[in-house]
Amino acid sequence: MTQTAPRRKLPLKERYALLTRDLDWDPSYVTKEQLFPYTNYEGIKVHDWDGWEDPFRLTVDAYYKYQAEKDKRLYAVLDGFAQSQGHLGLADASYLNAIKLFIQGVTPLEYAAHRHFAYLGRYLEGPAPRFAALCQSVDELRHCQTQIHTISNYNKYYGGFHSWSKMHDRVWYLSVPKSLFDDAMTAGPFEFLISISFSFEYLLTNLLFVPFMSGASFNGDMPTMSFGFSAQSDESRHMTLGLEAIKFLLEQDEGNVPIIQDWIDKWFWRAYRMSALVAGMMDYMLPKPVMSWKEAFELYFEDQMLGGLFPDLEYYGIRPPRHVQDAIAEKDKLSHEVYKVLHNFSFAASFTTQAPNEQHMKWLAEQYPETFDQHYRPVWEKHHRIEAEGGRMFFQGLPQLCQVCQIPMVFTEKDDPAKTSFRSSEFRGEQFHTCSDGCQWIFEREPEKFVQAWLPVHQIYQGNCGGPSVPEVLEWYGIQEGDNGEYKGSPDHKSWIGWHNGDVEQGV
Amino acid sequence: MAVKALYDYDFPSADRAELFGDDQLVYVHWEGNPLFCSAACFRVPKALGFGEFVETVVGPWAASDPDFDPTAVRDWRVNGRPLDGSAEAPLTELGIGHKALLQFTA
Repeated sequence: MTQTAPRRKLPLKERYALLTRDLDWDPSYVTKEQLFPYTNYEGIKVHDWDGWEDPFRLTVDAYYKYQAEKDKRLYAVLDGFAQSQGHLGLADASYLNAIKLFIQGVTPLEYAAHRHFAYLGRYLEGPAPRFAALCQSVDELRHCQTQIHTISNYNKYYGGFHSWSKMHDRVWYLSVPKSLFDDAMTAGPFEFLISISFSFEYLLTNLLFVPFMSGASFNGDMPTMSFGFSAQSDESRHMTLGLEAIKFLLEQDEGNVPIIQDWIDKWFWRAYRMSALVAGMMDYMLPKPVMSWKEAFELYFEDQMLGGLFPDLEYYGIRPPRHVQDAIAEKDKLSHEVYKVLHNFSFAASFTTQAPNEQHMKWLAEQYPETFDQHYRPVWEKHHRIEAEGGRMFFQGLPQLCQVCQIPMVFTEKDDPAKTSFRSSEFRGEQFHTCSDGCQWIFEREPEKFVQAWLPVHQIYQGNCGGPSVPEVLEWYGIQEGDNGEYKGSPDHKSWIGWHNGDVEQGV
Repeated sequence: MAVKALYDYDFPSADRAELFGDDQLVYVHWEGNPLFCSAACFRVPKALGFGEFVETVVGPWAASDPDFDPTAVRDWRVNGRPLDGSAEAPLTELGIGHKALLQFTA
């Protein structure tokens, strides 16, 4: 055999150009408008698609090689965890309620993001953003899979982890994340980029993702921490894509600026409202809390975004999101108001809740010196009194929901933590309720869209959720006896105690 | 501002009154009681008398709070306006329409 000389290796930049942009062509059988029908109607103007800078210059072969290595490391951790009964090393079984919320609420969003980035990978006109969207689409699918695989370990031992996909489509608190993504996916491709890539991935990912992952590491959940690390480098690529998308669109045409500002105003508030679930989780659901919601909000949002990013965007004529001051004004209240919902309604949830104990309340009072002792401690003490008398207070009925964010109407006026905030709008002779100035503004901007909201409470009352009684609705949700309710005395709690005392054998 | 779309964007509301027939949705908020995270939503007959509504619908819900005293219920308001009229009158005659917000203190 004769040896051939090794082929010349191309420099990275050239390889990238050949393997991405150079694969583009001009259509000859159809017009450009027929090939890309969705890039005009939102009013965004792009004059030069080649102006898109890809900061990573990733190619398919490099991408797969890199991702495969990360997967190998993650699955080694998962194997070790399963073999060494790692689930017994958690801080407490109640920690897993946070992870139930994660797989029901976040993992399906990864899949939704995978779907929509695949659509962008087809329908954006420029080859470079198409390729970036394709990579992100594959990332999102990988995140969805690694989360399912990781969390499935817990499904062998604890309740509430089954049927998460069905639950995401049906259960009341999961309509909060689901409706946000449905809203984004039914918008045009550019609005989707600003909603998910910028407002969600850039502005709020750290605030949403880091607390879960630090919470995992603090509470002995190594597998969740590992998939977090495995996703982290992708997340930073997604954040860069979000920033590149917004800068590219702002530079292409001055007329794009007000359209994008409007989307930032809408999507900051949508994503922020959804993050309220994370606030409740951080402050109340972690047996070993990491940092308070307030501290995380100040660090990841006020310092990094308002202090770092928005001064840069001012150059393009972009100002901080409308209603951002309202978000800042409620940082001392948000988690307490939202966890109250979960505690009131956990009889209809696929996780359990409990009132914070004395030690936990001490921590909360330290974190929230302005509000906790005055407004929230007395209510939790009343719950303690009810429980001491053998009861457990649940909300005997269904809550009023916000037409936009779909969270029960629990939020209070910014200057009065004791006064519930009600906003109401009329459209085509019908009354619609929203929880805040932010959600009301979003509703009134596109009422034709939000009147179609699938509000779980109203759907139950229309008879579309399995039947009129609570057991029928729970069955339709896929929630099994013991997945729900109070944590103390729940099957998870009992198994945990039994396994640690050696009274109960696992798997029996 | 209208929704930007490639076609005529016109869809009915998902919770319009006609879907509930002779019934309607009403919201009830116990002001100043943080034991309940939010107002409650009920489906009730439009023709239901207000007094009966308070006794058979609001009462059992409010009783989730062991300190609830039905005789202390007062200051009813509908969409922010004080409620005025006889306890016998049906909800709709008192201006309590589909998705109206009722508030009380106790």
